[in-house]
Amino acid sequence: MTADVRTDEVEFNVGNIQGNILRGYRRNFVRYLMLEVTDRSAARRFLADSVAGGTSNVPGITSAVIWKQRPTYCFNIGVTCDGLAALGITQDQLATFPTEFTQGMARRAMKLGDFGDSAPENWPAPFDQPERVHVVAAIYTDAQQDLDALQDQVVASFNLLGVRNGRNLAGNKVFFGYVDSISQPRFNHVHDPDQIGVDEPIDPLGTALLGYPTRYERVRFRIPEPQELGRDGSFNAFRVLAQDAAGFESYLDRAATELLAHPDVDQLLTPGEEWRIGEDLDRHGALREIVAAQMCGRWRNGMPVASSPDAQQPDPDNPVSLTNFDYDRMSRCPAGSHMRRVNPRGGPIVQRIANYTRRLVRRGMSYGPDFDPANPDDEERGLLGNFIGANLGAQFEAVMCDWLNLGLQNPDVTGSNDPLIGANTPETSWFDLSLKNGGTIRLRGFPRFVTTRGGAYLFLPSLPAIRHLSELTD
Amino acid sequence: MKPPAGCGTPRPARSRGAEPMANENGWLNQYINSLPERGWFKFLATRVVLPYWIWRDPKPKLMGGPRISPQPSENVQRMMNLIMPLRDSSPIGRAKAALAIAQNVDEIFAGLDNVGTVHFARFLLIDDYICMISVYDGDFSNYIRDFITTIGSVFDAVMSLVEGGDDMIPTERNVEKFIDWVQAHDLFQAPDFPTDLFGLQDGAKGVTPNIAPHELASLPRELILQLHANPNISLGGGYRAYPGVSAAQVRSKFGVGW
Ligand code: HEM
Repeated sequence: MTADVRTDEVEFNVGNIQGNILRGYRRNFVRYLMLEVTDRSAARRFLADSVAGGTSNVPGITSAVIWKQRPTYCFNIGVTCDGLAALGITQDQLATFPTEFTQGMARRAMKLGDFGDSAPENWPAPFDQPERVHVVAAIYTDAQQDLDALQDQVVASFNLLGVRNGRNLAGNKVFFGYVDSISQPRFNHVHDPDQIGVDEPIDPLGTALLGYPTRYERVRFRIPEPQELGRDGSFNAFRVLAQDAAGFESYLDRAATELLAHPDVDQLLTPGEEWRIGEDLDRHGALREIVAAQMCGRWRNGMPVASSPDAQQPDPDNPVSLTNFDYDRMSRCPAGSHMRRVNPRGGPIVQRIANYTRRLVRRGMSYGPDFDPANPDDEERGLLGNFIGANLGAQFEAVMCDWLNLGLQNPDVTGSNDPLIGANTPETSWFDLSLKNGGTIRLRGFPRFVTTRGGAYLFLPSLPAIRHLSELTD
Repeated sequence: MKPPAGCGTPRPARSRGAEPMANENGWLNQYINSLPERGWFKFLATRVVLPYWIWRDPKPKLMGGPRISPQPSENVQRMMNLIMPLRDSSPIGRAKAALAIAQNVDEIFAGLDNVGTVHFARFLLIDDYICMISVYDGDFSNYIRDFITTIGSVFDAVMSLVEGGDDMIPTERNVEKFIDWVQAHDLFQAPDFPTDLFGLQDGAKGVTPNIAPHELASLPRELILQLHANPNISLGGGYRAYPGVSAAQVRSKFGVGW
């Protein structure tokens, strides 16, 4: 990719953009450092060195320029509204940032389903004091031993409030046992090896970056001021999401047991076809996998339910694409599944103009110890998720609030929450499994499997913006 | 902030039943009971005491519109009461406003159809205001954003009639600003449980709701102060005669497609 490309009437320079926005690094480890700016000039000096490529004592910011040689580590930062203020951005300038960002994640709790155990009042440090979280720095590497040295370099210029360590689980899985990081938005002029062969609509750059056309025909999101601060920036909802892996597996057990006794169960799983779900599975085991698959919209091996509703292992002579599929009114992938809620693709939705407008770039890694379903434990583990887009309100919050919870996009699921990650309570939760004959079986009584443990709304400044921040005086 | 002592707040009775009942109709009690009707008292209360209170204990303006609830059925059929000051409230200006709406009826129907989450919408001219009253499903910002992206031209027409509206035209290029503006002009909805006001006031000040305990007896005072910051309000969130359903659920039940 050349550095300068003219796209959609706008100049686009990949060297200006932080590298984790338009593509994933696919590293084994990540460490997030939650930082407070206590010495403004030290922080600014750090940013100046970092954006200039780094020194022997300061890690350099990784840009989106394709590297010729894979660097040993990647380094990126996000800044909260309090962080921008701490670095010297004025109140007038902050007022040009979107309201959801200036309010911060904790004050948007109800919209995000962060109530009960997930409420900000129950978040552990450092997110119990959101106003002190100024910068979230991320170090990505393949060699775990690099992390401490790089952390020491960063901490020399900031006050370290907290650390979260993430890692890739074996087989690119996330807890709950699904293969993840398959679907992502796709951008013109962006070379992403992960997207080769993907045949989904191209997302305009304005989906992820400020200053470019968006999927809405005439809409441009406001570029915060001054321009060199806002342009080519992005926003990130950073979320620490604890996953109750033991609770999830034991719910699958219960659901499968209930289904075995259900009169319509053969419409879910034709007797004798258990092998199509998994070689060594008995009927109970196969039903567990069907519930898991329909809740997510992908089988745990990543196979889309929409294209392969009755088999996790499709016929090798008719390979199924992991990415090229769509939904329609006859689709066997339940409208209430996680995948269809967070990206209904071209499928029918109530908000007819909203297809493909709420796309999110997802960058995440798991945290916590491995989980062994044979020896379940309840240690804290989960996902360190980054949900990136040009407008938090139009993308992340819109998905969280109307689609993921509430289910407004389809009257058949309205009033229910995402079965996998929604704000469920056993008293009210429900989810409809789709059957071969077009009917449904309603599951009830499942708890909330994912609890929010913290997070922050971050601005992901461009490299010129980081330079701007580093050059502020007073 | 503590209210100044002796500032006329109704206070909880100190003694339980110990007060001699004989005094009930004594002249002093009768006089005190009649205070709210006495001119000098009203004058003092509104011109002296209230401004002093407002200075001592200012309330941030509370945000308009319904609040998101953990209860899904509360998040459908939500009310918007958008009260927009007319730039020209003379009969000529009003006629212009009437025409602007009439000329856009087709677009409005198209918008309702494509946004999909609106039950009703109507426009009113009342005194110096043009009002848009609607019932919609789900999140407020999504509702407004989806509308602008569908029929931005209609909102541009409305904004051209409204004081301060020029800053928002074209609304498609001012999505964030427009949403904030609408929220600021949507009426605050007084909570159905009056004591919930405390928590909302805490939240607006940026402190954790109800961490500092609130005295029930201070509710009337807090309400008065709030009504200074939000003079026009909706009394409650609106009342439904049946459980909440989405517009699409209604359409689907009637078999008219969604
Ligand atoms: C711990 C919490 C979560 C888990 C375990 C989880 C799991 C998954 C899995 C297994 C997939 C399928 C893999 C893929 O297509 O790449 C997926 C897809 C996706 N998830 Fe999540 N997810 C979580 C939270 C979220 C949240 C909070 C959001 C957004 C608000 C979200 C948005 C998405 C999107 C947009 C997709 C891609 C759908 C598509 O493009 O078809 N996820 N998730």
